[in-house]
Amino acid sequence: MDTQKPIVTMTKQVVPEGKKSFRISKEGRFIFLCLLPAILFVSVFTYYPLVRGIIMSFQNYTLFDLMNIQFIGLDNFVIVLTSPDFPRVAMNSFYWVFFSLVFQLLFGFMLALLMRKKFRGRGIYQAFIFFPWAMSGFLIGLIWRWMFNAQFGVINDLLLKTGLIEAPISFLADGAWAMAAVIIANIWYGVAFFAIMILAALQSIPEELYEAAAMDGAGRIQQFWRVTLPYIMPTMLVTILLRVIWILNFPDIIYAMTNGAPAGSTHIFATYMIDKVIFGQDYGQASAVGVIIVLILMLFTIFYVKATKVEKGGDF
Amino acid sequence: MGFRSWISVALQLTMATALLVGCSQPAATPDSAASSGANGVTLKMVESITSPQRTALLKEMLAQFEAKNPGIKVDLISPPFEGADQKITQMLMAKEELDVLEVREFNAKQFSMNGFIENLKPYTDKWQNYDQLTDVAKRRATWVDKTPYYIPNGLYQRVLYYRTDWFNEAGIEVPKTWDELLVAAKKLTDPAKNRYGYSFRGGATGWDYAMITMWAYNGTEVDPDSAFFMKDGRTIFSTPQSLEAMQYYKQLYKEASPKDSVSWGFQEMVQGFVAGSTAMLIQDPDVIDGAKEKMQEGTWATAPIPIGPSGVAQQVVGGPGWGMTSYSKHKEEAWKLIEFLSEPEQSTHFAKKTSTIPVVKSAAEDEFYKTGYFQPFIEMSQQPTKFLDVSRPVDYKGWGAWQSTADKDIQSFLLDQFTAEDLLKKWDQYWTKEKAERK
Repeated sequence: MDTQKPIVTMTKQVVPEGKKSFRISKEGRFIFLCLLPAILFVSVFTYYPLVRGIIMSFQNYTLFDLMNIQFIGLDNFVIVLTSPDFPRVAMNSFYWVFFSLVFQLLFGFMLALLMRKKFRGRGIYQAFIFFPWAMSGFLIGLIWRWMFNAQFGVINDLLLKTGLIEAPISFLADGAWAMAAVIIANIWYGVAFFAIMILAALQSIPEELYEAAAMDGAGRIQQFWRVTLPYIMPTMLVTILLRVIWILNFPDIIYAMTNGAPAGSTHIFATYMIDKVIFGQDYGQASAVGVIIVLILMLFTIFYVKATKVEKGGDF
Repeated sequence: MGFRSWISVALQLTMATALLVGCSQPAATPDSAASSGANGVTLKMVESITSPQRTALLKEMLAQFEAKNPGIKVDLISPPFEGADQKITQMLMAKEELDVLEVREFNAKQFSMNGFIENLKPYTDKWQNYDQLTDVAKRRATWVDKTPYYIPNGLYQRVLYYRTDWFNEAGIEVPKTWDELLVAAKKLTDPAKNRYGYSFRGGATGWDYAMITMWAYNGTEVDPDSAFFMKDGRTIFSTPQSLEAMQYYKQLYKEASPKDSVSWGFQEMVQGFVAGSTAMLIQDPDVIDGAKEKMQEGTWATAPIPIGPSGVAQQVVGGPGWGMTSYSKHKEEAWKLIEFLSEPEQSTHFAKKTSTIPVVKSAAEDEFYKTGYFQPFIEMSQQPTKFLDVSRPVDYKGWGAWQSTADKDIQSFLLDQFTAEDLLKKWDQYWTKEKAERK
């Protein structure tokens, strides 16, 4: 195709009603038609709900009275932001993302390093490690909820049998323990993803780099810092960014394990939002929480991309 | 346009259409099915309290209905139990093809206010079996604006489940009052053996148990039609009896219940009882089946729920039922189906199989309900001045918001982050304001 030729041209024609008319070239039409399914799909399933959510966050949209929906300005945001729950939900969201991420990364990295070398049964071993990632978050929450149960839970049973504790710990009845419990469950779930991504990156490092490093006298530790880490850094940075977004938006485990209990001490933004919909039946306030999540993630992403120079492959 | 462009346009359109059709709800199909065949009608029906057994039972009954009414077919939708009501609400909001739906007492008001469900009065007026419904069932049916919006299919009423073997061992009687319950529960608590007196509910909708206790302490002064208020118009949270009740409630948790029961929901409290960790449980009749399966015959029994110092015990008898959408295109057929499912014979069969209390009077004579684990339900219904049926203020605008924070407030109270006075004051202010704003 002639690249100089404009795809869309607009020409003024003399039309009796004095209207302007558009004329789109053949190629333009063809390209537009090719794009149409994708545009339709994305608009209907991504942008429509998004825009709708933003609109609802400015309305008194409650299930109690759907016949009387009006715009109420920033009321929903004021209610959410001034609620006494808000500081705790924000703090919890931070702990939830931070600790989940750090330990998922750490364990994921360790597993990836272990699985890098070939050994007998590596395929099966890999499958076992990646298995949690294929499970539903809700199901994982239900499983861990029973594991952490003080009466019948396997965790207390093991701790009692090994003599580490004398009386069962009521993990889900105490705010701090409950938060730790949901984070542990989330770490277990997310390790697999980091392991998959980092392993893929590790396997792409050319063997020659290590040979060259060894010839230059680099030891194992130096090889790790000077070759391995810089090589996989772009993958790590993108994975971390993705995971921060996903973890903050991931209510499944908490919803199934504690649903914010005890006394709201395990609510994060995402579960708080669900709570507002299911129990509060207030779609307006829930949407306001949703918009706040989007804003936080946008700010974080801008900051992260600038600070780490992700687009340049993380070359600090 | 050249031949190639035409082909490409045709392809694009086909793809776009396929995409839209593939992604849209299958709502369009019954319509076409309905119009096919000689005066054939396909009804769409959705149930809310789904379980594999219940769905199978319902399908069996629907097959009978179809055999009796040639020309009417019923498509049953059974969303997963968790979130079924949200799914139904969404279907109604989107005016999705739907004729018969299961309405719950807590969403009936919302559905009727938004004009989603049909007033069944014109149909019940002509229906001979309407008078066969028990008083409680009729109250549930006409809960909203004294208008029948749905016909209940079974009642969920709570009784006390207790471990007969533990009680015999300790030489104590079954508690008849809340005070006796605490004494017994404390006596049966032995953390070293992982045994506790009571299956406490602090988790999801645990507030309902706090309400039951407060009602029993406040007695007949509570307004049965809107039981968060007293007959004199004050909120129930403003009385000294409620303060006493909440202090009692905390004692029951701290001295006779497992510590982590502060976050126990339905599953945990039932599991606590059937797995032999708690001696008493207050729950609906649908627990009977599970308990029969997991516990030895003779180690457990049921009894009426304890009464308060006032001499009465109130509770909200749950009664889901079959309603009709206001926008149904086949209202006559939809009513036929509701009528069929609500016939005394069918509805007793349904209640028996789903382990709920039947909605028809004739069932009280049924051997199945007169003896055994179901007997206390009949005993309670025969003493309507002692065991009262009350209603929650679900018709208030602030109900949803209250509900979403009530469990959290109670948990804070149980974990000593809140005093009973603070808790009651907060709720008193909330409901006083709600009442004032409603006028």
